[in-house]
Amino acid sequence: MEQKTLKQLVKLTILIIVISYVVDKILFFSLNTISDNVMSGQAIGKLNQFLTVKDSADVLVFGNSRANHHIIADQFNDNAFNMGVNGVGIAYSSTLINSLPKDKEQIIIVHIDTKNFFNDDYDGSDIGGLRSKYNRNEEITEALDASGRVSFLQNIYYSINYNGSLIGILKNYIKPKYDYKTYKGFDPLVVNESQSAARDYTLRNDIAENCTDSHKVNQVALNYLMKIKAVKEKSKKNFIFVTSPIHNDPCDEDNKILNGIMSEHKLSYRDYSNLYKTTQPDDMSLWKDKTHLSNLGAEKFTMYLREEFLFLR
Amino acid sequence: MLFNSTEYLIFLPIVFILYWLLKSSYKNQNVLLLISSYVFYGWWDYRFLSLIIFSSFLDYYVGQKIEAAIGQQNKKHWLLVSLCSNLGLLAIFKYYNFFADSFASTMSTVGWEVNDLTLNIILPVGISFYTFQTLSYSIDIYRGQIKASKDIVGFFTFVSLFPQLVAGPIERASNLIPQIENKRILNTNLIKTGVFQIFVGLFRKVAIADNLGVYVDAVYGNYEVHNGTTLMLATVFYAFQIYFDFSGYSDIAIGSAKLFGFKFNRNFNLPYFSKTLTEFWRRWHMSLSFWLRDYLYISLGGNRKGIAITYRNLLLTMLIGGLWHGSSWNFVIWGGIHGLFLSLEKYTFSLFKIKTFNAFGYIYTFIVVIIAWIFFRAPDLESASTIVATLFSFDFGSLFLGDINKFVNAIFLLIIGLFIDLRLFKSKISLEEYGARFSVVRLSILVSILILILCLFYSTTENFIYFQF
Repeated sequence: MEQKTLKQLVKLTILIIVISYVVDKILFFSLNTISDNVMSGQAIGKLNQFLTVKDSADVLVFGNSRANHHIIADQFNDNAFNMGVNGVGIAYSSTLINSLPKDKEQIIIVHIDTKNFFNDDYDGSDIGGLRSKYNRNEEITEALDASGRVSFLQNIYYSINYNGSLIGILKNYIKPKYDYKTYKGFDPLVVNESQSAARDYTLRNDIAENCTDSHKVNQVALNYLMKIKAVKEKSKKNFIFVTSPIHNDPCDEDNKILNGIMSEHKLSYRDYSNLYKTTQPDDMSLWKDKTHLSNLGAEKFTMYLREEFLFLR
Repeated sequence: MLFNSTEYLIFLPIVFILYWLLKSSYKNQNVLLLISSYVFYGWWDYRFLSLIIFSSFLDYYVGQKIEAAIGQQNKKHWLLVSLCSNLGLLAIFKYYNFFADSFASTMSTVGWEVNDLTLNIILPVGISFYTFQTLSYSIDIYRGQIKASKDIVGFFTFVSLFPQLVAGPIERASNLIPQIENKRILNTNLIKTGVFQIFVGLFRKVAIADNLGVYVDAVYGNYEVHNGTTLMLATVFYAFQIYFDFSGYSDIAIGSAKLFGFKFNRNFNLPYFSKTLTEFWRRWHMSLSFWLRDYLYISLGGNRKGIAITYRNLLLTMLIGGLWHGSSWNFVIWGGIHGLFLSLEKYTFSLFKIKTFNAFGYIYTFIVVIIAWIFFRAPDLESASTIVATLFSFDFGSLFLGDINKFVNAIFLLIIGLFIDLRLFKSKISLEEYGARFSVVRLSILVSILILILCLFYSTTENFIYFQF
């Protein structure tokens, strides 16, 4: 390599590193300013709203899309918030639960998906959904560092923390999806007429998967459950763990094992997987798809929870 | 090791620095490249190395034997040894289960139940690519087009050179071996074009293709419940996903090779800007289509033996080309559709004495290509048939969007990708040369923008689509 080429190479490398580093910081801090003012949308807005209400809310719901679409938190209490988010698991929920004030009395409903608890592939990567608060929120930063899911690149290029959410942030900043002042975190699933035909077809042809003999508990999921248990023991909170209805789940061995784990750790757990299967097996209007309840199904399920847990009334 | 992994981000600069520290001896550089290539390949599974080493030994030895053999008959015998061994390995590792399964199915339809003949075989990564590369070496020596390599390290490096090892471009010995067996030079032009191409390739793969893939996977994974509109959009998305995935891979490969002073052949030339299917195949996966043309189509007689034989050759070449991609009837049908339309085009051109179509040809070519992609993407023949039937039932209801944020991201990135392609198409400068247009400062700014787009939009699909082939 000639001297001139080497000089050009060094110049190019240094310039790329410096320019990309500086522009990344400008972009990141600009996005922080914008995103902090975003209060709608699943990825950032809902998290921002949660961080503002978490210290004062009386009832909080955590979990994935099934928690989000199945539990109408404000039917328990006006001062309630549903923090269920699409695609997240127990790692995400556990981290947020850990950020709650220890001395505040709160009712915490944690939605657990039995299948995810026994899923070998679950690695806690859903905690990545909290990246936008990395280095900006103590509990979240600690949890992300402990999860080992922060790449060395993330410490160089901060804008990775906004991966996948830029357009959503800008959209919700310019035109909020909803009025957050009246939003309680529950998103109803409404089935229109054209969707109902496809839904009915899918549900009628819903062939249950074969049950497996192996029911090895996922250690990552169990570790995060233990972190929730630790919060329970150190705080004045009342925890309820629930699994909401699913359309067709003939395998109950995993549910029994999960029940056993919860009992062993003295955690209050109710499994409603087959609630509608036994009570209203032919009522398709309760469903949006195989795993999600429609708004009607959610209303009934929430009512059911209120009847089961008197303190939720 | 994947090009879009952190490992490669560390691996490439280390090998690059060591390589140019050894610049006084290209033979030492070859030793380093060979070791690095085996590390790169063994990262998946070190056991696969035995196969590539065996294949390299075989073709090195056979190549010398072909050259030394006296008389065409003797040369042919040695060529057959290479063909049978290479294709034999490919047949065992890639096609044995397919043919065993097809045989059992055929027997069962005539009432004979055959025991399960399939074996638990893992397909070694990149076997189709390096097999075709070594085959071309033996055939070129047989045809007298190149000399057999006398440099064993150089030859092994030719077979395993890491930028092109796993998914091409399928480099010809006539292009690559002379570069390996001579001193390489790195100049500013190569650095600028190489760096630019690597980052554009990463953008195409990690940002565009992987984001499109999220929607495609959601729809094709549950195709029974989706209407024609959704399936149509998912198929169009797939057409761009596979293009940006594979052309992105090729860009990173070609760009990486430039940093080591190698010039690989171009593998993609804006294929969706084609007015005919014939033109499409001159622009899509060029290293494979030219390989098939030179070593299969021409060997079968090409267009020299009359019109009927030409059509047969076209169809046969495309069917085998389809099968090269994977051991499934879907790929055979995909190749068959291309073969059929290539033949029809040839017939139309000869009938109307024209050489190409007018501007409507772009639409015609795209429609044929996307219909064929359905068979390429669908998991099996039954699902492909269902998807085609749904599309042609013209049941165009409301569109399924899936995760709206991911959908919008995919559209946004696709528009950027198409804008870049349109610019390249209009400027008539290939991406391979485009980086040379910029000053170092301007190139740094462009690369920095690409890095930030990657940070904001990268998706996390593990593999490149063409790795499975």
